[in-house]
This record gives sequence, structure tokens and C-alpha cells, in this order.
Amino acid sequence: MTTAVLEGVINAEAELSDGELVAECKARANIYRILSGAFLEEPTAEYLQAIRSPEVMASLRGLGAAFGPDFTDAPIGQLQEELAQEYAVLFVVTGGCPAVESIRLYGRFQQQSFFEVRKIYQQAGFKVSGGRFMVFDDQLGAELMYVAAMLDRAAVALAGGNRSDYVETIKSIKRFWALHLGKWVRGYASLLGRATEYSFYREIAKLLGSFAEWELGLLGVRVDDVDGGKLKVPLAEIEYESDSNEPVCNACEKGQPGKGKSAADQLAIDISLIEERLQRKK
Amino acid sequence: MFEMNRRTFLKVSAGATAAAAAAPSVLRAMENELGGKDIGPVTMAERQAIPLTCHVCNIQDGAIAFVEDGRIVKLEGNPEHVSTRGRLCAKGNAGMWYTYNPDRVLYPLKRVGARGEGKWKRISWDEALAEVAEKVNAAHKQDPNTIMMKYGRDRTGGAIGRFITTLGSATVVNHTSVCESSKKIGMQPTWGPDIETPDFENTKYILNFGSNIMEAAYFHNPYAQRITEGVAENHAKLVTFDTRLSNTAGRSDEWIPVLPGTDGAVALAIGHVILREDLQDTDFIDTWCNVSTAELKKHYKQFTPEWASKLSGVPVETIERIAREFAQTKPATTYTYRGPAKHLYGSYNEKATMMLSIMTGNVEKRGGYCLPRGMGYNQPEPMPPKPAKASYLASHPDYPLAEHKVSHMTPFWIAEGKQKINVYFTYMDNPVYTNPGAQAVWGKLFRDEKLIPYYVSISTVIGEETALADIILPDCMYLERWEPESMPNSLWPWLGIRQPVIKPLGETRETRIILRDLIHKIDPNGSKGMKKYWNFKDGEDYMRQQFDTIPKLKEAGGLDFLKKHGCWPIYGKLNPRTGKISDNTGREIQAEFGLHMKELSAADMAGATVDGHGTIRKNGNAIGVRRNGRNFVGFGTHDRLINIRVEEWAKYGFNPMPTFKQIPWHKELKDDELILGTHKFNVHVQSRTASVKWLAEIAHSNPVWLNTETAAKIGVKTGDLVRVESAVGHLVTKAYVTEGIHPKSCTIATGCGHWEYGRLSTLNLKNGPEFGGTDDADLNNVWWEDKGVHPNVIIPAVVDPIGGSQGWFDTVVKVTKAGPDDKYGDAEGDWEKHHAAAKQTMRYAYTGDLHRKMHPEMASWGGAGSVKED
Repeated sequence: MTTAVLEGVINAEAELSDGELVAECKARANIYRILSGAFLEEPTAEYLQAIRSPEVMASLRGLGAAFGPDFTDAPIGQLQEELAQEYAVLFVVTGGCPAVESIRLYGRFQQQSFFEVRKIYQQAGFKVSGGRFMVFDDQLGAELMYVAAMLDRAAVALAGGNRSDYVETIKSIKRFWALHLGKWVRGYASLLGRATEYSFYREIAKLLGSFAEWELGLLGVRVDDVDGGKLKVPLAEIEYESDSNEPVCNACEKGQPGKGKSAADQLAIDISLIEERLQRKK
Repeated sequence: MFEMNRRTFLKVSAGATAAAAAAPSVLRAMENELGGKDIGPVTMAERQAIPLTCHVCNIQDGAIAFVEDGRIVKLEGNPEHVSTRGRLCAKGNAGMWYTYNPDRVLYPLKRVGARGEGKWKRISWDEALAEVAEKVNAAHKQDPNTIMMKYGRDRTGGAIGRFITTLGSATVVNHTSVCESSKKIGMQPTWGPDIETPDFENTKYILNFGSNIMEAAYFHNPYAQRITEGVAENHAKLVTFDTRLSNTAGRSDEWIPVLPGTDGAVALAIGHVILREDLQDTDFIDTWCNVSTAELKKHYKQFTPEWASKLSGVPVETIERIAREFAQTKPATTYTYRGPAKHLYGSYNEKATMMLSIMTGNVEKRGGYCLPRGMGYNQPEPMPPKPAKASYLASHPDYPLAEHKVSHMTPFWIAEGKQKINVYFTYMDNPVYTNPGAQAVWGKLFRDEKLIPYYVSISTVIGEETALADIILPDCMYLERWEPESMPNSLWPWLGIRQPVIKPLGETRETRIILRDLIHKIDPNGSKGMKKYWNFKDGEDYMRQQFDTIPKLKEAGGLDFLKKHGCWPIYGKLNPRTGKISDNTGREIQAEFGLHMKELSAADMAGATVDGHGTIRKNGNAIGVRRNGRNFVGFGTHDRLINIRVEEWAKYGFNPMPTFKQIPWHKELKDDELILGTHKFNVHVQSRTASVKWLAEIAHSNPVWLNTETAAKIGVKTGDLVRVESAVGHLVTKAYVTEGIHPKSCTIATGCGHWEYGRLSTLNLKNGPEFGGTDDADLNNVWWEDKGVHPNVIIPAVVDPIGGSQGWFDTVVKVTKAGPDDKYGDAEGDWEKHHAAAKQTMRYAYTGDLHRKMHPEMASWGGAGSVKED
């Protein structure tokens, strides 16, 4: 589903009754949980079976997801094994793209966002624990699960007639999107969709990107995605001094005045390998 | 009324300097006052400071990690550390990026594709340990020695050795043969320890052979400080013999370029002049050495300056002048590192250089060439017994004197079937990158599942070696683990610790915890007799068992003292204002000298006997030496004397006296041939730092250094592509043309040219995305596009038949303009050619056919058979 279609949905359902809002909160929480499950750890057989159930597949198709036969037709055991390997390549091993906010925004593990989200969870009465593997607090799966839990809480508040709690909870979700998810998941989703070789992660990435746009619209949050999910790293327009007699750097073409590559060439580091992978997929 | 004009003011000012200096001062540089403390620039709150011992390289500097809101935000030197005195090098300052490296491995990984294919699956610790335990159990049943451990940098305080010994295997191999083993073996039989600790601070003359000590060699941080003090405050002269104008050579009073591999000849010739002109310390030689001055004079007659000049290119008059200066300046010291030692016969070269300090009586003098001062710590009891059987790989019969092993020959010996390996463990090691032959040799070994059926890597990142593993057990970074430390990197011994600054990231575990858990999985109920050696709760508990019973430290608080201060000096403490060690009253405590002259007590002598050479023996051990009626502890050798003559060398047909052997294949260098060397950047260790952004930005490319004259002959200038070709492979890199290298030598820095080790090291994006987000200014500034070229693939294995060292600086190459098919970064080697080179170098072993030819002076030696019979 495209962003435009989703926006249409938001406009059409701008005014909902409390009962409808409760149902919507629960429905949104479910999507958050499905997405969270894809990122928290390698998909379990139960999770995959649940996703492949006719009802869920129909719902996801309705949202625009188009899983390929590598997902829909493979035996569950084989699928689980293949996706576990893809999960490792994408999110775990050296050279991958961990779904962790600190990595995406600061280039390293356990930075500012890790501590910020931990504090937010604590204030809401949560902590990250359990699961088959240790998960960073600012891992995408944990962040999505937090919003799902908050939506549950909002639904309970509203169903119980506690509108002020509902409003406060929705506000905290808005803040969370503004300060965290909104800053990185759209770009990251775009990148993941291109990097993976499996339709499961490709469609999950698409769903994540579209759902993020939709949620931001619904919540009325305007925030720039600073991850960008760009393949090419923009080089800062920095001036640096070079000494042609300096043995450390003189082997760099750029370190020698007048010997540099064209301006266009200087815009990015070598990305030939990932481009090759993307070309291969086409 | 004062008359104040500029002229009178200048006069007054000049005259008042002494008084001004004597006036009390209350204003001091903030950096001194703030040492050990740090304030967050945003919060303005004091950051939590946790002392530790750095472990980016092996100098073991005292450091402090500053933590703000749970995050390590800064590292600096520990001002309480007696050796490094509050200074931390660039590598140490950048250390936190190891911890937060986005390419870290945080979970156990199991290979699912072919070896090296890059396909992995995350598994739980329980699954990982169960799988490894099953493989180890099967191997153990067949033969414990088929379980192998090879480690690079083991600072676990004994855990690695305890592990492999617990399994009953003797197949434990270190990395020392590619590091400094021939330096160690050149020294050990001569005076006991395997390293020296010169008193640079108080010396008047430093004769440096082949060490870039100001920036990269062993103990560069504490030694660079003391050399600077010696040169600047004590007016010491620094003379450096090196093939390359290193930054140490550049800061020396004299840089004297030598042909690679000939330092030993120069040292012997300097010794010749000293003895010829009677400038030696006769009393010291005749009292403390096992060879008399007369014998030494006779032996050194052959090593004339003319002979050495012809070999090395150093002018006769230079050799003679340096000899006189060195002998007549007191105190003086020599220093070496890899330059002399990393050659075929590197042990002879090391011995030749240390002889200069010995014959001039500078040993154990203030300002002289001193014994190392270290401190020990305990091992938790009980300890596992030694393995029942020796291992071929760990104690190779062709290299009986190479006490530090010959690990770089491992792939060839395994391939030749000399020892069967079933399970191969590796810890903090990356020989696929760091060893001679690199991917052509070690890559082939690890890819072959017949040779290495099961390969376990205990690692923090997927480097060149770990990429070929079957299973990866994720280790902690040094800022997350407990480890004991003590290094003889100054004259004041100390004990220190590494302690966790933050909790380990992900599911990484401390090495000793990984090993403990594995043993517990192998021997869950203790019935195999292994579990009892691994009885500790955690890393801290293990350390308590190591530290809490040490006399004096125990009274000071044991491990708790170290947790607070990072380091325990046995004498007083460091005065941060003077950089000297002071007692509680602020009075400076001088280092102790003359350790060999410490006298034995009456209790020591009770029941002791004294032999004809004066060696004092008790219970079968040499405990001292009697000289002039007094009983001294002497040196740590078999007879407590300095062994200028090493009898054990003679046993194997090596010359027991100081000598020099020219590298045979250097004798007839053709016009277009050069000798290739390698050197180290001051911001990189061998393989682990290219992924650290601050360091990678400073140094990331490594052109080949060529002398101006040489480059002109080839027709290349700086920046031109050149092809460097050896007998075993070739590479294509850029030229750096300089006067700062010997015309018959060329050199390429190590630390660059990775093809694994993460996205920053390889400068490609592999199967992943870009470096990170756009908020990070550091990442935005990744402006370089050159990752350099790795030279090791074109360097063949060479073994010093005495010390076992790799001959890093012995490779003959041809450097030519790159051809049309040559591409920057090409680096190729051939297994067959490398194997042939390995076989060739074994011909120099004492069992080899070239041994006797290289030692005509040992004509009376009975041959290898005589040793075996013995």
C-alpha cells in the first residue's frame, strides 16, 4: 500500500467513536507486534505459521504486502532455517545493518538513544527482558513492542472511560515517534527492502515504511527521517590539509592537490559490492 | 621612581628569572589538576572515572575510562600509574570505539554455508557450548593433543593455558614467532630475562638498533617519555641504526642507515673497536661473565669495522666513532626491537647488540641497561597438571632452542601431516592477516576441512581468520572484562587490573567465563576431573583469588585497592607534579639498581654449596654466585653468570659466542633487487585497529617506501603505481619516494589492506548498508577511499633456527612500474611457492643440510645425531 492510499485511510477515518478508537488501537498494536516479531529475533516456526495463516495473509495483502513464493510456498522448517540465516546476515554479523537506533543514528552500539528509550520504558513501567537473545533497548523490535504495549494501555484506558489517561498515553506515543522511531525507521525500511534477498524481509520492510508514514500522519507528528537509508554515504564538505611528503596519507589520490577524482566521484565511498547485490536481484 | 623602559625591563627580567622561579605558584595547568577527573561539557557534572589497564596494544598503559549516563565517553591516562604517568597514546584514546563498534559480534554464530562464504546462524550459548563440547569430547577420546589452541594476545592471566592444560593437551601455540621471539632467545640464555628495561631517563647515550621506540615499538609510551627526558633534561645522545628514517630515527642525534639484516655485524664491529682500544669494563666482564676479557678480545678480533662496513654500508669511521662515544660516555645503554631480531639468525644479532652494554659494564647501573622489573600474581588453586605428552606443533624437534615456539610454520606442518588436529581454538589471533603468507597460506589451511575439521574462534569481530571459522564464541572487549596485569615497562614494578567499565554488550562473555562454561559442559558432573580447576563465580572472583593474598597489596586492600586505583606500585606513589615516584612525605624514591648484587642471607646459604665457578647451589638449583668472598644472587641463568658463551647453542651446532651470519640470499643482490621490510604506524596495531574510526582516519594507506635513487632507476615518483614481486607472490601499490630509506631496501606499513574486519577496515559495504546515520559527524567525515594494501601475502616464512622468529625483513623483491593489467590493491600469493619456501628455511635448522655449511667454525660439532643420542 502506498503512502497516498494510507493517507486516504487516515482522512476517511478521522472521526471515530470511542469504541472504534479502541478497536483501532488494538489493530494498530497488532501490526506493531507483527513487525516487532520480525525484528526482535529470528522468526520462529509459530510466528511464521501465524503469518502464513490465511487470515493474516489476507490482512497483510490488504495492506499491500506481496510475499513471494520463497515465503509462501517453502516448507516451514526450511523457511525458518533460511530466514534465520538471512536474519544473521542482515542484523547480526560483521558488515550487516543491525536494526538498532544507536547504530543508525550514531554509528555505534549503545549510544544516547539506548539510554533515552530505556528511561522512557522505565517511566512507563517496562523493562526489556526475556526472548531467546539479549536485545538492545533501542532495537527496532523493542521500540515497536513498546508502542504496541502503550496502544494496549490506551485502549484499556479508553474502554474504561478514562479519557485523560488515553490522551496522555497517545501523547507519549507521539513523543516516542518524534524522538525515536520517526527519526530512523522510514529510511531504515527503505534500505532493508533493498538489502535483503528474501521476500519476507522485503515485504516486512515495505510494511514498516508504509506503516510508519501512516502512524506519523495519524499521530500528527512531523519529523525528518535522519537515517535516510541511503546506500551512499554523503561525504562532508570538509577542507583538509595534505602534505605530499607525508607518507601516511600521500597514497590517497585525494590527499594530493590536483590529483583528486571528479567531484561526483568524491561524493561516496565504494559501494560496488552492495550495488552488485542489488543489481543481481534485479 | 622606577625607570621603566623596554631596555631596563629586559635587564631586570633576565636577572630576576631565578627569583621568579623560586616564588610560590598557585596557578597550574588545568590538565594537570584535572588528571583523573572529567566534567561533562553539557551536564557540567563530574563523570564517573574508572581506572583500568589499556589493552588496545600490549604496552599496558594505565588508563581511566570516563562514563556518563552509562556510556563510555572518553579515555585518558591514569595519573597514578607509575610507568605511563597519565599519558595514553592515540590508540588508547580511541579505545571505546572497539566496544561500540557496529561490526562487533554480540552472539554465538554457527557457520551454515561453506567456510568463508559468510553465511551464519545465530545460536544460543547453550547450543554453542554443547556443540563445541561434543567435538572436544570426541577429539579428547582420540588424543588430547588433537585439540589445539592458538592465541594472539593472551592477557587473561593464565586462563587460556589453564583451559588447554585442563583438557590434557600440550598443543598450545602463541604468536611470538611473528613478534619478538628471537629477541627473547638472543637474551634469555645470556642473562636470564627475555627483555631489557633501560634507564633512558638517566642515561647519557642511547644506541638504538632497529627500534621505532618513540612511537611504535614495545613499551613506546613509557619509554618515549623517558627517552625524551633523557635527551631533553639529561642531554643524552640518541643514535639510531635503522634501514628506515622512522620518527625515532628522525628525532635521533644521528640516523645511520644500514642494509637490512646487518645490525649484528655493526654491533660486533663496535665491540671490536671497544675491545681493541681497551675501552671495555674489564672488572665487570671478569667478575660477572662466563668469558674473560682476554677471551673476548681474542674472539672479537675477527669483527673488524672494515668487514662490517662492507656488509652494512656503514662507514668504517662511523663505526669507530660510535664505538668510542658509546664506551666513553657513562652511563649508556643499547636498545633493540625487531630490527635486528626478525631475520634468519636474528638471535645472533640480538646477542651481538646486548654485548655492547655488557662489555662496557652498563648492566644494572643507573642510566644503563637494566633487568626487567615485573611483579607476579597468584593462580587460583588447584591447578591442572601438565599434559602427559608433548605436542609436535608446540615443541618442534627441529627447533629445540625456540622456547617461544615457531607458530608461523603451523599450516605447513599440519598440511604435511606432522600432527593431526581435530578441534582448533583460536583466541585474539588473526594469522590469516598477520602471518607470512597470509591468505595464501593460513587461508588455505582454514578452508580445508580435512586439515582443520572443526574450528572455534573466540573473537569480538569477524576478521580474516574468524570469517573462516565453524563457530564463533563472542568475546568481550577489554573495557568489559576482568584481567590481571603487570608489565616491566619501567623501573618501578607494578600490578594492575582491567575491570569492566560497562556491562558486556549483547551476549558477549569474558574469555575465562566462556572457557569455564565450556569445561563445565564437557565435564558437567566433574567425573572427568576437569571441573575442579574451574571453580570460580565470575571474573572478579577469579581476580580476588589472584590478588587478595599478595603480601602488602593484601594489607592495602587487595583487589579493592586495584579497583579504585587501577595500579599498585610497590614503592610509594607517583607525584603528578614531578612525574617521579615519591614516598608519603613527597620525597623522591629512586629506582633500585644492581639487582644482581643483592646478597644472599645466611638462611639462603644454609645447606648451599659453591662450585669452582663460584655458582652457589642449593637443592639442585643455582641460587647465586660468589664473588670476592661475597654471595650475590647474580643473574637468572643456569650458573647465575652472564653467559657470553651459551653452551646450549654449541650443543646444537650453533656458535655459542657472539657472531653474525649474513643472510645467504642477500649476498648477491642484483641491481634490480631490494630487501622488503615492514613497519608499524604509531596509531595501529597489527590487525585490530583498522576498524577504529579515529585511527583509520589518521592512517589508512601504506605506499611502498623507495629511496630517491632507487625510484629514479625504476622511473617512478611518489603516487605512481608499482608492482612489488617476491618469489612467492606479488602486490600492486603506490610509491612513496624519499631519502629516508636505504637504497637497497623498501618497506610497507602493516595494519592496512584488510579484506575482512568490518566495513571501516575494508572500506566496502559488503552485504550491509552504509556506515550509519547522518547525525554522526565522525561518520560523515569518512572521506578516505584508500584502505591500503597488505604485504604479508608476498612474504615467505623464514625461521631463525635458534630463536624461531619469522624473518620479516629478509624478503628479496623486485619493484617495477605497474603494468597495464596491474590494479591497485592486487595482492596474490601461491601456496606451493610458500610451501617450497618453508621447506627451504627448514634446511637451516640444526637438523638441516645447510646448518653445517653456515657454521664452518663449528667443525668439531658431532652433528644432529649426537644431540639425539644425548
